[in-house]
Amino acid sequence: MTSPETASPSLFGRLAGRSRPVRTSHDVVVLHDVTKRYPNGRMALRDVDLVVPEGDFVFLVGPSGAGKSTLMRLLIRDELATQGHVVVDGDDLARLRRRAVPRVRRKIGVVFQDFKLLPRKTVWENVAFALEVTGTPRAKIRPAVDRVIALVGLTAQAAQIPTQLSGGEQQRTAIARALVHDPRIIIADEPTGNLDPVISWEIIQLLLRINELGVTILMATHDAEVVTALRKRVVALEEGRVIRDELGAAYHRED
Amino acid sequence: MVAFVLFSIRRAWQGFWRNALMSLAATLTMVLMLTLLAGFFVLQNVLLASLTFVEQKVEVVAYVQNTATQDQVNALVAKVQAMPEVASVQFVSRDQALANFRQTLAAQGRPDLTTSLDQNPLYASVNVKLRDPSQLSAVVSAIGDQPIVRSVINIQALVDRVLTFTSVVRSAGIAILGIVGVIVLFIIVNTIRLAVVARAEEIEIMRLVGASDAFIRWPFVFEGALVGLLGAMITLGLLLLASQPLSQAMVSFFNVLPIELGSVGRDTTALVLGTGVGLGVLGAWVSVRTYLIR
Repeated sequence: MTSPETASPSLFGRLAGRSRPVRTSHDVVVLHDVTKRYPNGRMALRDVDLVVPEGDFVFLVGPSGAGKSTLMRLLIRDELATQGHVVVDGDDLARLRRRAVPRVRRKIGVVFQDFKLLPRKTVWENVAFALEVTGTPRAKIRPAVDRVIALVGLTAQAAQIPTQLSGGEQQRTAIARALVHDPRIIIADEPTGNLDPVISWEIIQLLLRINELGVTILMATHDAEVVTALRKRVVALEEGRVIRDELGAAYHRED
Repeated sequence: MVAFVLFSIRRAWQGFWRNALMSLAATLTMVLMLTLLAGFFVLQNVLLASLTFVEQKVEVVAYVQNTATQDQVNALVAKVQAMPEVASVQFVSRDQALANFRQTLAAQGRPDLTTSLDQNPLYASVNVKLRDPSQLSAVVSAIGDQPIVRSVINIQALVDRVLTFTSVVRSAGIAILGIVGVIVLFIIVNTIRLAVVARAEEIEIMRLVGASDAFIRWPFVFEGALVGLLGAMITLGLLLLASQPLSQAMVSFFNVLPIELGSVGRDTTALVLGTGVGLGVLGAWVSVRTYLIR
């Protein structure tokens, strides 16, 4: 098994320095000895260590039930870790006061397999919704929404409602919504799971472009072809444990 | 702050109309429940008023000896009037008693046989109205001890039965109103919950994009208040339409029941508005809470 230490010297450095405080400004996500046990007794994550530096593009792979979704739910503080630390952009989520949770969530853009768009709102309104419900003044909403809609290439479709769009366009809308708060990280849970291969590649290309703009991307996926072709960092989970953490890796283990 | 309230109200208004069917269902349930509640409330009030009316009918009638002088009668009336249990005293002379009796016979369409009598067979009486019918026996014995009093009609057993009946009816009325109130509470809160659950996805998105609890909660609370207000207004409109024919039917059915219902209209309005808006807000509040940050 390829250990994280051999895969990435910089990562080795971070993991070796466990004694120093987990707050580090250039790591967007730090999971330290994280265990999650659900009330029904199921162990979803066991002793997970994961450090994602700013600007990284990380694939999270593993079979269903391996803990990918639980990990993402911990990051958006939908759930709290049973043990260990989850630190997002310097905030230890376990110590975060309830009132501070929304502020942290605005630093995380989430994208799902099923898009989660509001069916009666247009593309533009769906994106603007994320700003409206967080109390953004109206004058600031228009330029911000126009900008991200242009970024994902949906300016022409801005006035359409989700049912008039293709799956790829719906996912672009969701990505635009995730981007509109100018997040530090985008967490994408199987974003191409409902899309055909060609469209999937378009979405991946979009995420890569966003990554180039400096946004960290953490993407859970089953798409072996995409993962293997891109040779990015791959974190593999199995039965709640990180069994592999490699840079420039393929979907399956290669040694 | 102002911007936040305006935002919440605008979102509540949008939410209401975007889910028009659900909002309509919630509003109609609200109307149904409020009508039920108001119906029971009015019924309860009518019942209480009639019971009070019946209780006011309880009278002590003391017949006075024919030999009693006017001074003695006046002294008796003054004495009885001074008793704390007594509301009012009325002296009915023999002639008056006869006149009343003749009137009653005439009203019932029966032949007046008193004209064939050579003298008035009736006694003068002192009719005493009580503040509280449960004080009957004390007043009866006090008056019965007076020398000029010939006899006192003892209706103790009847009064006891009336009092038992009215107290049972009062408690039962309050209990039924309470039960109906609880049922109304659960149905309305549950209906609002359905309307909120129907939009669980919207709430989930709000949470995911980092909306604070206040931004999630208040639009729904305002929407609940809107449903409550609308339901209350429709209910009050229906009650207003129904009140005139209903009270007329009641009057003709009970053959002129002189019931004092002056404050019932105001109380019912307050009850319907308060319950409607209150339960709308409460229902929305507890329903949304499920979705907020744990």
